[in-house]
Amino acid sequence: MMVDIGLNDKAKIVKDVSQLVLARRTRMCNFLEYKDTKIVYRRYASLFFIAGCSSEDNELITLEIIHRYVEQMDKYYGNVCELDIIFSFTKAYYILDELLLAGELQESSKKNVLRCISQQDALEDMEVEDEVTKIL
Amino acid sequence: MSSSGPTGFLGRSSSSNSNMRGLVQFIADLRNARARELEEKRINKELANIRQKFKDGSLNGYHRKKYVCKLLYIYILGWNVDFGHLEAVNLISGTKYSEKQIGYLAMTLMLHEQHELLHLVVNSIRKDLLDNNELFNCLALHAIANVGSREMGEALSGEVHRLLISPTSKAFVKKKAALTMLRLYRKHPGIVQPQWAERIISLMDDVDLGVALSVTSLVMTMAQDNFEQYKGAYAKAAGRLKRIVVDGECPSDYLYYKVPCPWIQVKLLRLLQYFPPSEDSHVRGMIRESLQTILDLALETNKNVQQNNAQNAVLFEAINLIIHLDTEHALIKQISSRLGRFIQSRETNVRYLGLDAMTHLAARADTLDPVKQHQEIIIGSLKDRDISVRRKGLDLLYSMCDTSNARVVVGELLHYLQNADFAIREEMVLKIAILTEKYATDVQWYVDISLRLIATAGDHVSDEVWQRVIQIISNNEELQVYAAQNIIKYCKQDHCHETLVKIGAYILGEFGHLIAEEKGCSPIEQLMALQDKLTGCSSSTRGMILSCFVKFVNLFPEIKPQLVNVFSVYSHTLDPELQQRACEYLTLASMPTDDLLRTVCDEMPPFPERESALLSRLHQKHSKTSDKRTWVVGGKDANTDAAELALAKQGGSLRRTFTTAGGANGGARGTAAAAAAAAANGRSAAQDLAGLDMANIGPAETKTLRVPNLASAAHLSPGWEKGYNRLLLRSDGVLYEDGQIQIGVRSEYRGQMACLIMYFTNKTPALISSFTTTLDLDGSEKGKLTWDVKGLPDTAIAMGAQAQQVIVFEAKTVFEKSPTIRISYLAGALQALTLKLPVAMHKFMEPAELTGEDFFKRWKQIGGAPREAQRIFGLAPGLREGSREITEGHVRAVVEGFRWGVLRGVDPNQKNFVGASVVHTSEGGRFGCLLRLEPNYGTQVSAALLWGGVLG
Repeated sequence: MMVDIGLNDKAKIVKDVSQLVLARRTRMCNFLEYKDTKIVYRRYASLFFIAGCSSEDNELITLEIIHRYVEQMDKYYGNVCELDIIFSFTKAYYILDELLLAGELQESSKKNVLRCISQQDALEDMEVEDEVTKIL
Repeated sequence: MSSSGPTGFLGRSSSSNSNMRGLVQFIADLRNARARELEEKRINKELANIRQKFKDGSLNGYHRKKYVCKLLYIYILGWNVDFGHLEAVNLISGTKYSEKQIGYLAMTLMLHEQHELLHLVVNSIRKDLLDNNELFNCLALHAIANVGSREMGEALSGEVHRLLISPTSKAFVKKKAALTMLRLYRKHPGIVQPQWAERIISLMDDVDLGVALSVTSLVMTMAQDNFEQYKGAYAKAAGRLKRIVVDGECPSDYLYYKVPCPWIQVKLLRLLQYFPPSEDSHVRGMIRESLQTILDLALETNKNVQQNNAQNAVLFEAINLIIHLDTEHALIKQISSRLGRFIQSRETNVRYLGLDAMTHLAARADTLDPVKQHQEIIIGSLKDRDISVRRKGLDLLYSMCDTSNARVVVGELLHYLQNADFAIREEMVLKIAILTEKYATDVQWYVDISLRLIATAGDHVSDEVWQRVIQIISNNEELQVYAAQNIIKYCKQDHCHETLVKIGAYILGEFGHLIAEEKGCSPIEQLMALQDKLTGCSSSTRGMILSCFVKFVNLFPEIKPQLVNVFSVYSHTLDPELQQRACEYLTLASMPTDDLLRTVCDEMPPFPERESALLSRLHQKHSKTSDKRTWVVGGKDANTDAAELALAKQGGSLRRTFTTAGGANGGARGTAAAAAAAAANGRSAAQDLAGLDMANIGPAETKTLRVPNLASAAHLSPGWEKGYNRLLLRSDGVLYEDGQIQIGVRSEYRGQMACLIMYFTNKTPALISSFTTTLDLDGSEKGKLTWDVKGLPDTAIAMGAQAQQVIVFEAKTVFEKSPTIRISYLAGALQALTLKLPVAMHKFMEPAELTGEDFFKRWKQIGGAPREAQRIFGLAPGLREGSREITEGHVRAVVEGFRWGVLRGVDPNQKNFVGASVVHTSEGGRFGCLLRLEPNYGTQVSAALLWGGVLG
């Protein structure tokens, strides 16, 4: 579900939802209700990945979108850890853009997503190379 | 560390931000900041630095990119960033990909869709959409998909559409274009033009599963509002699902832990739920087979969490579809037993989803028995340690409640209410109140439960609940005495909740006199009970008590002095509202005659019929979701269609039938009364739902924008007549042919049944794909001629190859118009034809033999119009001037082609033709038909006289 919200509301939602999720114990289910939205979350070590979806959406498949995202980053960074995501946060967004668009999964093939990201990298590298050549 | 992606010029792939040293250092600094103050200090320093750099201008792309990145990081950490947006916009209009990419990212994260700066980027986005490099197209599509507004959509939807349908678009661009279109559609449905529908649906057949997935998401959303326009998607979805699930048509890349692309499976299963079940036995068969396969696959137990989740995601969606279809009894049976196991699962997710699916079942099933079997376990789920599960259990109990188990269910809910989480108490109270009202068959039970509910829940009782109780009691005489007896008991207690005092004030004021003779309920005792509460209550409750007392003045003159005393005390209170009330009541009570008092305090009339405020309140929360709900929480009556609800609205809902509890004479009378009550319940239950927001489940009536039905006879393609006319007289032949396709028909008629086999031959020098056929018949003929598609043609036809489709028609009764078929396929662009099928009434005629005597005898029986008609006609000009001469043999061939038995030697004039035949229909029966044709070969204008008649 796509909702456009103000920055203050956004901050409040982030705060509320983080609190709700952190208060949950292990062995509880991965879903909870927050206002009209359903929250689907999954914990990887000390990191929580949290998705919001419409109350109509399929919970388990949303849960697996989260997992696919983590796997996709794992594949790209190679054994992804929190630091990878922090230091190259832009890349984490680019990978997400290849996976999800308008709130829907656009590609479930790991290979295809990786190919897109590699193309982007190649183009960037080429630009850097051009730059260096120019300087020389 | 980076195992994939090409290694960049500077060592590690440039993909990471490591080539921006300043940024990496900055992030590291922030991570090292021990306290929030230190972080803030570092950030402020950086912000000042960046502001200065931007002010100085003359930054090159690299530096601008770096600073925007830093701002972005600060923003993500949750700090306010109020400048630099313009620099991000500048990056977008640059030429370098890496700079654009950061610019777009900053724009989509930091600007909301109404931000004024977004106007500045529309042209840059357009330029990138038109760029020859697909990666630039993708950046632009991402931007629109993330922050596109209606205005942006109106400016750019044409380009997005082009990228979606262009045969030269690469798969990875197409799928992004599809989802970008989805975003724009959600912002403003008018952006997607009706004529795009057919082309978009055809993309559901795309060989690339990513494209198919994205397009299915798009179609699924649009089909919810434009059911007619997208109905072609139904058979496509059914076909694709079967190919993936049953035929295993899925590239290995798309297997997710051995499950073939669960995402598209879920989407397809969901899409099918937005349509009414198909009438077509072939399509139904495909769906049934897929569903059964999914159920079977789910039985395999696996150890892997991911595989389990993916399989269950598909399974639960399949269960939703099975419940929606409502016709697959064998499947329903399988799922009910399986759901029983799910709700006891050790896995919390499965318990949660099991309860959810069972709630869906209870909402739609004809009988609640399969659900009721598990009542114990469901009640047990109210004690689950996870609040998410408890909520689901509550929803299910609410949905599975009916007259037979209401006492148990409501009892359990009341019991649970005492310890329930605060977050759900108000909702629980509403639900208990609704169930109590809906399923009460007994006076005492309704009163007992309602009052106990309010006593237990106290502060969580919304005004709607206690007001509704008063309305019900006031409108149902049989409740009044019992209610009055009980409420006074509550009011006498020391710890009586204020809400009960309110009810007490009203009920005793109206009906106190009915119990005044009873022990403990004398007027003075009623007065004392309420008077004791006066001090501890809020102003509005005190007002109600004062109003009750003025009614007492009228009902119980013997306690007037005490009452007047109360009024005079309150006539000095500081609360102006109470003071005014007390003064008025005082005056009223002290008037010389009590005429006015009697009029004012006359018994209250019954409350006017109205929608139940309880349900409106309950359903308020379900108003804004992006996808439409296919069902709502609540019993089957909560899910009946809008028309039924509107009808039910007219009846009275406050007036209820209760069986009298005291009447223990039982026997036949008791059961009859119970049956009558049950019937009444059924009715009032539906009426109660009048407050329900129908926009969520009914078809959207707001968007009745008429869209052309391209399969209809109004859109016949040029050149359709030739083949159609030829095939009217013949059973086999070519119906249509052009440079790309040849369409042939073979047909066989037996009685009222017809079997048509259509052949489609690809004449193009390439593969044609997304081959789709849709049948249509004029609305006025629906029900007269029906069909069943026995198989769908392959969606891809190789060069020179042929696909076929078998359709069985049944003439139910006499029909006049032929059905039409829309054929569309992708051969580069979308090609589409609409043709008339050579299925006409005469095809269902069987030539008959009659003697001359019989013929004339029957002819006389016809007895003129309307069963007899006569027509004089000439031949079409084209034929007249043609080389063909009209001969007797030719006329005979035509008459016989129209399935008449030509009778010889019946007409004295040998030149005339006389014919007889029998029309077969399944519901209209058989009709005998007689014909006399008088050809006139003499004149150039060949004229003929045709007599016809029908014998029932």
